[in-house]
Amino acid sequence: MPALLEICGLTAGLQSRRAITPVVSNVDLDVQPGEILGVVGESGCGKSTLAAAIMRLLVTPQVLQSGSATLRIDDDKAYDLLNLSENDLRQLRWRHLSYIPQGSMNSLNPVLRVERQMTDALLQRGLSKKEASDRAIAALELVSLEARLLDSYPHELSGGMRQRVIIAAAVSMHPTLIVADEITTALDVVTQRQILQELAAIRDELGATIIIITHDMGVVAQIADRVAVMYAGEIVEVGSVSDIFQQPLHPYSQGLIASIPRESGQRVEGLPGEAPSPWNYPAGCRFHPRCPKVFGRCREHAPASQPQGPDRWVACHLYDQETASDD
Amino acid sequence: MTDLLLVENLQQIFGGKNRTHAVDDVSFRIPKEPTIVSMVGESGSGKSTIARIILGLLRPTAGRVLYEGVDIFTGDRAWNREFRAAVQAVFQDPYSVYNPVYKAERVLKIVIRKFGLAKSKAEAQARMEEALQAVDLRPEEVLGRHPHQLSGGQRQRLMLARVYLMRPRLIIADEPVSMIDAGMRASFLNILKDFRDEQGISTLFITHDLSTAMYLGGEIIVLYQGRIMERGRTRDVMHDPLHPYARLLISSIPTPDPQQRWEEALSPNRFEEASHSLPTGRERCLFSDRCPDVMDRCLQARPNLGAPDLADSHPPDREVACFLYQ
Repeated sequence: MPALLEICGLTAGLQSRRAITPVVSNVDLDVQPGEILGVVGESGCGKSTLAAAIMRLLVTPQVLQSGSATLRIDDDKAYDLLNLSENDLRQLRWRHLSYIPQGSMNSLNPVLRVERQMTDALLQRGLSKKEASDRAIAALELVSLEARLLDSYPHELSGGMRQRVIIAAAVSMHPTLIVADEITTALDVVTQRQILQELAAIRDELGATIIIITHDMGVVAQIADRVAVMYAGEIVEVGSVSDIFQQPLHPYSQGLIASIPRESGQRVEGLPGEAPSPWNYPAGCRFHPRCPKVFGRCREHAPASQPQGPDRWVACHLYDQETASDD
Repeated sequence: MTDLLLVENLQQIFGGKNRTHAVDDVSFRIPKEPTIVSMVGESGSGKSTIARIILGLLRPTAGRVLYEGVDIFTGDRAWNREFRAAVQAVFQDPYSVYNPVYKAERVLKIVIRKFGLAKSKAEAQARMEEALQAVDLRPEEVLGRHPHQLSGGQRQRLMLARVYLMRPRLIIADEPVSMIDAGMRASFLNILKDFRDEQGISTLFITHDLSTAMYLGGEIIVLYQGRIMERGRTRDVMHDPLHPYARLLISSIPTPDPQQRWEEALSPNRFEEASHSLPTGRERCLFSDRCPDVMDRCLQARPNLGAPDLADSHPPDREVACFLYQ
């Protein structure tokens, strides 16, 4: 099956007066139709920048430098999101592309009722008032909220309910692709579980494809089908959720999983060192200063992402085809 | 033997007209033996308010906090000084506790000066380096740097180095790992365990993240809307929660293992949207509106915290506030 979204060589950075500092470098990633793909990484690894770049919502000083992101919909139509005109892009947004940015539950307008905010975009799409309102009610049902809520103001809702309203608004047009950035970070665990399970149900009911961006390995383990691990602006490993958790290949993924605190009796060690910022990404493999398995080649050459079995990619010299005998 | 810390019937009510019961009749103790007590609950459950009261930053509406048998709000100056040295705080935000103008090590230097911990400059330097090593920081990666040049994890560990200099009896840590990266969390928690085992320092660890509480072990207190719902040894409570709220909370932890996924979908809170039909007042079980096992009694009186009445023997030192067990 061809990928729903095919990201190739996406590079985005921060523009200063003199130069552009790359934040996300040369990302290649396929998103399969109907899957939930988890993008994980520590804060500052560029995962939110990647999401905003795909949605063409980078704001100065963030700039897109190169790459393509091909969205295939309705069997034969393909659109390169990164090179589409604003006008064409507007046709895709909401109908095919939905974005739930970090902290968006706090972006509801406090002086407007929920209905007005949910139907705004629907009316823009040419729906009648009645149709828009019906769609909004159907969308609220998807996230277990009652139609009555349309008459409330945001301050009357709890944090979890506001987040649900945002998700409902995002899915009201039954989008093909939903990008959800840290949607449960500010919520307690019970609400988090409800919302993640509702998101999975939306995938099942609407056949949507979801990219979920998070720093929380627990969230990924619970709902993702596949996982992309990001470090210092690059994707270092991609694989199925069971592969990534049971047999992580990249030393960074291994460290990330080994450092999850579990039972009290088993002591786990954190990852030594600190993640670099875009201004001082190291040469060679960007993980090499913290890597327990570092060797000569890592310090000079950046590893390319290579396939390791079906649907498994890793960017690490440990898995180079020819053995590391030359070092 | 008196306890290290005894919290008795603590109550904190905020506001005039719309009174908020932030803390409602909370009692617990931290023994003299070094231990880690985790206090968990969602936002608004009163856990930070309790921390602020214990630190002496807030006077409770009612109830007492006794440190080694002495009410912390009645001590004289000398006693207060001793108390402030013996009970140390680590807060959530590793960014706002530093003055950005000064070098990061100033937080250590002030402690050394104010509490007269070193006689000479060389001794002060040696003290600082020892403290940094105790929290897995290399002196050269911290000394001489400004706060913005350090990561959240480094800054938070530097606060622990400051605590280490003081060698307190008790650390009150309010959500100390929620703003630091996953890879660094384990190191921070390990330091707290080492402090307990090697230095005899106890910690009251306040968190909304149950997996960190599980890793720390010790004891756990589950709060809900300002009341204690259940307490006991962390291992016992995590593996066999009794209170329906504790069961809901623990079953909702996103376990970082794709083989152990949540099974059935959680039904939305039955009363969440219908705020007007909610049972009101506080003379009831506060969880009754969300509880799957709710009974008539639960709406009529408040269940007291007590040892559960179970058919088989229950683990020692376990208490639950639920009519199912009374």
